[in-house]
Amino acid sequence: MHRTIASLPLAPSVKIKLTSAGFDTCADLKDLRPLQLCKEAGISQEEALEVLQTLRSDDGAGVASHAGGAGAVSGGLTALQLLQKEHALGDIITFCSALDSALGGGVPVGKTTEVCGAPGVGKTQLCLQLAVDVQIPVCFGGRGGRALYVDTEGSFLVQRAADMAHAAVEHCRVVTQDAEQQAALKDFTVENILSRLSLVRCHDYVELLARCYLLPDFLTKHPEVQLVVIDSIAFPFRHDFEDFSQRTRLLNGLAQQLIQLATEHNVAVVLTNQMTTKVWNGQSKLIPALGESWGHAATQRLILHWEGTQRLASIYKSPSQMEATIPYRITEDGFRDLAPPPFPTAQPTSSGPAHSVQQRKRPRMEPLPS
Amino acid sequence: MHNKKLTRAGVDSQMCERLKHHHVETCEDLLSLTPLEVMRLAGQSHCHSLQLLRNVSVACAPKIITAQQLWLQREDLCFSTSLQELDRLLHGGLPRATITEVAGPSGCGKSQLCMMLSVLATLPRSMGGLDSGVIYIDTESAFSAERLLEIAQSRFPDYFSVPERLLQTAGRVHLFKELTCQEVLIRLDHLEEDIISCHAGLVILDSVASVVRKEFDTSLSGNLTHRSNLLGREAATLKYLAQEFRIPVVVTNQITTILSERASSGHVSFTAPGGEGGVGSGYVTAALGNTWSHNVNTRLIVQYVDSHLRQIVIAKSPVAPFAVLNYTVQKEGLRLEGNASEEMISAQGTDPGLQPIRVRTGFDYRLTGAMAMTPLTPSTTSTGGGRCDNTGV
Repeated sequence: MHRTIASLPLAPSVKIKLTSAGFDTCADLKDLRPLQLCKEAGISQEEALEVLQTLRSDDGAGVASHAGGAGAVSGGLTALQLLQKEHALGDIITFCSALDSALGGGVPVGKTTEVCGAPGVGKTQLCLQLAVDVQIPVCFGGRGGRALYVDTEGSFLVQRAADMAHAAVEHCRVVTQDAEQQAALKDFTVENILSRLSLVRCHDYVELLARCYLLPDFLTKHPEVQLVVIDSIAFPFRHDFEDFSQRTRLLNGLAQQLIQLATEHNVAVVLTNQMTTKVWNGQSKLIPALGESWGHAATQRLILHWEGTQRLASIYKSPSQMEATIPYRITEDGFRDLAPPPFPTAQPTSSGPAHSVQQRKRPRMEPLPS
Repeated sequence: MHNKKLTRAGVDSQMCERLKHHHVETCEDLLSLTPLEVMRLAGQSHCHSLQLLRNVSVACAPKIITAQQLWLQREDLCFSTSLQELDRLLHGGLPRATITEVAGPSGCGKSQLCMMLSVLATLPRSMGGLDSGVIYIDTESAFSAERLLEIAQSRFPDYFSVPERLLQTAGRVHLFKELTCQEVLIRLDHLEEDIISCHAGLVILDSVASVVRKEFDTSLSGNLTHRSNLLGREAATLKYLAQEFRIPVVVTNQITTILSERASSGHVSFTAPGGEGGVGSGYVTAALGNTWSHNVNTRLIVQYVDSHLRQIVIAKSPVAPFAVLNYTVQKEGLRLEGNASEEMISAQGTDPGLQPIRVRTGFDYRLTGAMAMTPLTPSTTSTGGGRCDNTGV
């Protein structure tokens, strides 16, 4: 009601004319009709109509919130509703059980996750694994969805995706128990997996931005897509920019778009980032690229790194999981645990691999009381 | 693409005129602005600005295909290197549409490998070649036409017994000598046209490190970022061309010494037969830094075992595990030696940007020709047949 004209999403020229005609807040425009506004402010009829429609939609949300009374505010959710929604959305497993439990089930659908790492540590492998895992049928514990892979580096090799798909199919075949699973397995073949994996190759940041502007339309047309991978988001933005502030502005805009995409269309967005060397106090360290402000972009951040010859994955930032570091390896079949997970009947303190693994704390999320 | 003018992207002429006043003429200019900036420059409301950006995006955005469509062309995914073990590990050979880097100390065989690949690319498809031209960008003057022909004749003596074929092969390799960064950039800008006119199926850049290291002193502030940007641009251009023409691109890299107190952590010492570990308080690794390690898709490292036996290490690859293969440099190019055992192939490795490389630690020599009959002092170990006379490349 007291919102000023200048803050409305109208064209600047229209706003100037309105303010010079003496209108300051939305309250001033409340009961006007288009023709009257047109004469008073000196704007065209279409522009006047647009102003009043913008006003009405802005106002409409406000009126409904007052009429809502106790209980849910229109357009908002209670925490309980959000919890139920998130549990319904679920997670995408990574086939590395240690990582899945550290993440609270897997890569969450509806949120953005960033994977940073040194070259060759397995970021693309993890992304390929997720693109295959999201397609695992629901009766096997998967999401039964499709994936979109945005490749900016040329590291997507279809032979590798086929190998991982083959391994996933074999895994499902081994654990098949009932008739429903057998029926689902008929549809879960390497060719079908590859045909449900959409691929787009962007060569520079302009193509990447263009594709991201069009993603909402793509996702509306293909609602079964549950995973969008951008591998990597760092490469196009690291060498073309003289003006760092422009890069930051564009990255912030992109981050906002991706978060909106994740929540509105219920997809998991996975971004891959590179590492950069920072010289600090005479020592050089590797930190995630794209700067400090990019650190706020993703909801969850995973860092993959080497410790000698061992690959480790650390949860660097997460609103719901504790920081943890787990070892993993890349095999012919894809992204896997270090050693086969012990059977549940083994002794409670299993000796496990003889290297230092940070003690994994219990995740904070308790199971939802049914 | 992004150089497309807005007039051709479906934006009406009045809007184009308006944006032209603000120097926004191409799709790239418009998409580099945030929606608020577009609102201000175009004089439109928020909704209309977003609509404008979406319309321009439709003109620029690349097409979406499915992995299945790529899979249907899978015979054509790799370029065989004719080194069987290496091809097997790489699932067919050097992957097309990607950058493969060969890094290693001088004299180890990088340029030899490049020349061997050039010969292979000109062979007909029935022999595993690409039946195409080769663009060889040489920045170190390491290319030798004579050696190219020697490799061709020694490796495929039956095929090249016909002299016309030898001439045809030599005629298909297009050599460009570029000696400064500026020249390399100009050549890369021009490469698209060169690839089309030469019908090239392979692009070799030997080496990417030499010109850059000559001209950038990374101890001076600002030079490191400038160098990284330059290398990033080169990589982006090469990847774009590799993708569009579906050809493999091979670049070679040099080595650098990393001096650090914490050389022990993150350090993998190879216990090759008869060899010792790395250097004392520092170690040698591929040059051009961590950022460049991200830019290449596959990294093969060549290193010394002793003065004749060398190793090729698959340090970074999207399809292959970490592996070490022995080879020697012979008349016919590279020859893999005694790699039947699976011990050297493991699922482990370390950061490809920090992988230690073994360099030549001594100088073994053996007299050739008539003097070889006179026995010398038994200090030099016998090293078997090999090249002691020339090359050193």
